[in-house]
Amino acid sequence: MAISLAESVYIGLIDVSTRKVRTAVTLFGIVLGVMSIMVVLAIVNGMNEVTLDWMQQRGGLNKIQISMNWDYDFSRGGEATFSMREVDYLRSQLEDVEAFNPQVQAWGSIVQFRDSDFETSAMGVYPDLQKVEDWELEKGRFINLDDIRNHNNVIVLGSTVAENLFRNRNPLGQYVTLNKQQLMVIGVLKSKYWKNQGDGAFSGNVLEYMNRQVFLPLSTMIAKVNPNLKVSSIEIKVLPGKDISKVKRQAEDLVLNIKRGKQLFRVSSAQEEMQMMKKSMVIFTVIFFLIAMISLLVGGIVITNIMLASVKERTREIGVRIAVGARGKDILIQFLVQTMLITTLGGVFGIFAGIAILDVVAGFLDITLKAAPNMIWVALLVSASTGLIFGIGPAYKASKLDPVKALMED
Amino acid sequence: MEIIKTIGLIKDYDLGKVKVRALNGVDLTIETGEFVAIMGPSGSGKSTLMHIIGCLDSPTEGDYYLDGTLVSKMSRNELAAIRNAKIGFVFQSFHLLPHLNILKNVELPLMYAGLSGKQRSLKAREILDSVGLSDRLKHKPGELSGGQRQRVAIARAIVNKPSIVLADEPTGNLDSTSGGDILEIFERLHRQGNTMIIVTHDAAVAARADRIVQIHDGRIEDGD
Repeated sequence: MAISLAESVYIGLIDVSTRKVRTAVTLFGIVLGVMSIMVVLAIVNGMNEVTLDWMQQRGGLNKIQISMNWDYDFSRGGEATFSMREVDYLRSQLEDVEAFNPQVQAWGSIVQFRDSDFETSAMGVYPDLQKVEDWELEKGRFINLDDIRNHNNVIVLGSTVAENLFRNRNPLGQYVTLNKQQLMVIGVLKSKYWKNQGDGAFSGNVLEYMNRQVFLPLSTMIAKVNPNLKVSSIEIKVLPGKDISKVKRQAEDLVLNIKRGKQLFRVSSAQEEMQMMKKSMVIFTVIFFLIAMISLLVGGIVITNIMLASVKERTREIGVRIAVGARGKDILIQFLVQTMLITTLGGVFGIFAGIAILDVVAGFLDITLKAAPNMIWVALLVSASTGLIFGIGPAYKASKLDPVKALMED
Repeated sequence: MEIIKTIGLIKDYDLGKVKVRALNGVDLTIETGEFVAIMGPSGSGKSTLMHIIGCLDSPTEGDYYLDGTLVSKMSRNELAAIRNAKIGFVFQSFHLLPHLNILKNVELPLMYAGLSGKQRSLKAREILDSVGLSDRLKHKPGELSGGQRQRVAIARAIVNKPSIVLADEPTGNLDSTSGGDILEIFERLHRQGNTMIIVTHDAAVAARADRIVQIHDGRIEDGD
């Protein structure tokens, strides 16, 4: 013997439609609150998408980097470099590794082709670099194990380097000069591109520096081009599905062991880097989250008051319902459903309003906002819960009315 | 068979410092199918008695058996079920829900009884037909005359086939013609075997009943 939910919804719909102005007033705070929540979610979502895209362009999230520890006091002795023996040892000890690339780097190298030259960052690398940094080839091939073993005089060019030295000509098979060594071009890389927001100092393609690099076999680089160079950083890609932080800890322990307890290197993961990037955006999220919470709170208090007034105004109706057999639960559900209908309706309007202002907010704050389907569910859930939280008091009051007194009310 | 039996009903109202005794030992028995008028001046306790008989209120002391069941000690929810199944109310000021059409108003007790929409509509139409309002189903109460509204209220009271119909000054807000119509419906319901209880201070209304119960200062004075 109970009134069904559908029945409560029906009663609620009639109530809402007969009290349009009141409903509209009640809706306002909820619309504002849900709208803000939509913006918050779009910011978070946009941030995630942007950072993820950024990380992916640079080789994905399962990347671990071993590089110099800037916090180490090098006056105490020690050098943040690895010998080839240490590199090989590290490679042999690490588990769950998909790709492993030790590298040496010569900044400010000049690469020449006939009468053109270009200032570049020359990298001595393993074939695995291609996997670690997700490089694709425009033409030719990348460095292979034979090149490493035989110290081949070969070079792979970044897209900007190739463009500057060769213009429209085909660079494959041509010889360029780097530090007096003749190197044959075996491949040209596809350019990497990632557009930063806004028009400040860091606008444009932030990954352009990668297109300005040239790559040689690590062995060739050390043996022939620049004998003074030592491996100063190692990039590792963890096998998909494997525990990245486990590999990271393993790498930390091994490096510390190799260097006899000296903290010469820092081991960092792309995941951590992403967390850092997200943190920098947290302030916007907090502000809009606060706006959302305050709007919902104010909206909720308005709802409580309006529902209390509604209960008072409808005392006789409640009395009649109780007289003909409604139990406390029926009345409670009726008012609760009505409140939740109103707030959910507000939520629906809020969703539309939120989507409508996303572009405005994105333009104003100069950040990427992105709507996602799950935002709609969150918004509906939040608006319905607001109705539940702020409607339960008035509904409870209605359910406890004394029918005798309620029927005598004018 | 006794449909109503009260033994030593006492009802006290606590008004802060003073306690008011509205009922002071009411013993009342009503047989199935009787048409009884409860009369008394205002403040006599007749409204309180009606609320207790109608299971809207519980006595402070004493027992009340409705249809053989002791209801005076029941919880709020149990009383709600009893009201829904066994009691039909007709009020002086009709107490229809203004934003529902009359069909929905009459369906109300059936809804709380848990009947499906189809069954409710069927029963409510049938009952409204019997009080001559089948052409007004979609009208709101505000669009009807006082007499028509009271007929809707009667339809609502009897749609659940209750054990008793309890009317509180049912003609109090009506002109004499409409009032007469309402009383005729009551007599007809009585002839059909319904137990009718009318609370009134109008002697002409009370005269229609089989039996008049006089209540004064919370006691029944004349029980025959």
